[in-house]
Amino acid sequence: MKEERASRSLSRRTLLGRVIQGLGVTLALGQVTPRVQAEAGDVSKREADHLIVHVARPLDAETPVQEFASYLTPNSRFFVRSHFGPPPAELLSDQNWRLRVGGLVDRPLMFTLKELQQSEEVTLTAVVQCSGNGRSAHRPKTPGVQWDRGAVGNARWTGVRLRDVLTKAGLQTKGRHVQFQGADRPVVASVPLFTRSIPLEKALHPDTILAYEMNGRPLPLLHGAPLRVITPGWMADSCIKWLTDITVRQDEAEGYYMQIAYRHPTRSVTPGEAIAASDLTPVEAMIVKSLIAQPQDGASLVPGPVTIQGVAWTGEGKIVKVEVSIDEGQTWEPARLIGEDHPYAWRQWQYIWQATGSGPRTIFCRAIDDHGQTQPKASPWNPSGFLWNGWNRVTVTVAA
Amino acid sequence: MESRDRYGGGMTNVGHSLIFSLAIGLMGLAVVTAAQEPDLGTVSAALAPRAEGLIIARCSVCHSADLIAQQRLPRARWEVTVEKMKHWGAEISKDEEDLLVRYLSARYHPGAPDQLPPIDHELRKSEPLTQEPETSGPFIGVAKRGAGIFEHNCQACHGTDAIGGHGPKLAKNPILKNEDLFWDTVLHGRGPMPAWGSVLSHQDIADIHAWLSTR
Repeated sequence: MKEERASRSLSRRTLLGRVIQGLGVTLALGQVTPRVQAEAGDVSKREADHLIVHVARPLDAETPVQEFASYLTPNSRFFVRSHFGPPPAELLSDQNWRLRVGGLVDRPLMFTLKELQQSEEVTLTAVVQCSGNGRSAHRPKTPGVQWDRGAVGNARWTGVRLRDVLTKAGLQTKGRHVQFQGADRPVVASVPLFTRSIPLEKALHPDTILAYEMNGRPLPLLHGAPLRVITPGWMADSCIKWLTDITVRQDEAEGYYMQIAYRHPTRSVTPGEAIAASDLTPVEAMIVKSLIAQPQDGASLVPGPVTIQGVAWTGEGKIVKVEVSIDEGQTWEPARLIGEDHPYAWRQWQYIWQATGSGPRTIFCRAIDDHGQTQPKASPWNPSGFLWNGWNRVTVTVAA
Repeated sequence: MESRDRYGGGMTNVGHSLIFSLAIGLMGLAVVTAAQEPDLGTVSAALAPRAEGLIIARCSVCHSADLIAQQRLPRARWEVTVEKMKHWGAEISKDEEDLLVRYLSARYHPGAPDQLPPIDHELRKSEPLTQEPETSGPFIGVAKRGAGIFEHNCQACHGTDAIGGHGPKLAKNPILKNEDLFWDTVLHGRGPMPAWGSVLSHQDIADIHAWLSTR
């Protein structure tokens, strides 16, 4: 009896591991599973196949960094992060889903997706990055999903301007912040909702959009179907998925996810130190950062020319330079900026390295933007492990 | 060191018997706490069966246990985290909160190795959290009680009113008519569903079944 149990457990553990790759829980009883759920489960599983899963439920998964050899990150390989997981698909269907606009407006409005799409359509390419991307590099370690490098991606987003929607509703002059609420809900009702707001200036910026397409395809469920906010240049905690409610307010949104989480200190802090609320500010714009997509960490190379390539991006600015160092950062050589060049998108870069000698070699990269921001060797520690942008490094072995 | 001598060797021999659990629960923790520098590995091994059962039953209602296992935090931050989760609705008593903090800060402290075995409750087969004596049954389910047990243990995956979510819809699910399969699934798990045999008592399962049959 005992042995039988043990072997069952082991095989289940293996299976569980595999399913965790594909997320959650499901189709053991597939025949009786409603169609909508079956589809949601299948999509999730397929999408997660290409990703590195950190949390199985709700799914948090990052893109393997070698995927960033591609300018656009495919939908199926784009990182996934949410606090509560996607809402039931039936809530998001054409029949059931609506966008409500209210608060400090003259005319509260409600839109179907088709009605929303009557506004002028806009397409832009933008990096979307989790504020905690790179958290696992902070020392001492900080709580949260231990992202490595891949909680970021570059995609083409198509939608309508938030500004146009707000104008239709008639902004009142007292309105200073725009609050977003998605359809996702916590399992336990006593957990605060993921409610966020952005200042009016960002909301009215012509590049801030409500996106319903990602890389030319309808927004996938895991990425916020049918509608999500895209705040180009800002971290993804403003890019609310499964959007259903826009509320114009005088103040920032209330609640945990705006007032406590997603804040970082405006001064340098030491681990364990108490930080006054007045020294914390919401995470907003991204900061300058670059990654090495090729060669991969741990790769074996033969002596001779090696193409080092990667991507670099910043917040509301432009990448002007990427540099590579093969000597632990003592000397830096400029990489060549290549490919498409658009605001908010990342820039691809390339450097041809003459690999010589034999043994392990460490390659570093760092980027510089047009505001003069340069990546530091290591980012300042902060209690939530946000905004890591230290030099990226990969170690390769050159064969004799 | 004292804690290792006292509990390290006993672990495999005594296994996960109820007596062992009670001994740890009532006396062992006090000794471990009093020790000047408890061996972290030994502490977490001793606490593991009950703490991991709690994690499966109470924490993974909202998130899978992998989120916990990737943290490396000092005790003060574990205290804040567990307190936050309790405030948000995690159903844990003060004693359970203390146990969790002790286990988590012993096992997932800043100096712990990057790779640790996953929280794998199934391999341990610890004793039920509900310490009521099991008789051989049959168990007569009470639907009204089952509603509450379902809400706290099953709803996260199977949805409000058992209409489905990450896991299958259970309302009107044919498995309710196949009681052997139902019990086997709940006790031992199936596919991605973990085993609940160490978390739910037989009476709990009968109550859940009774309630589901009314949906």
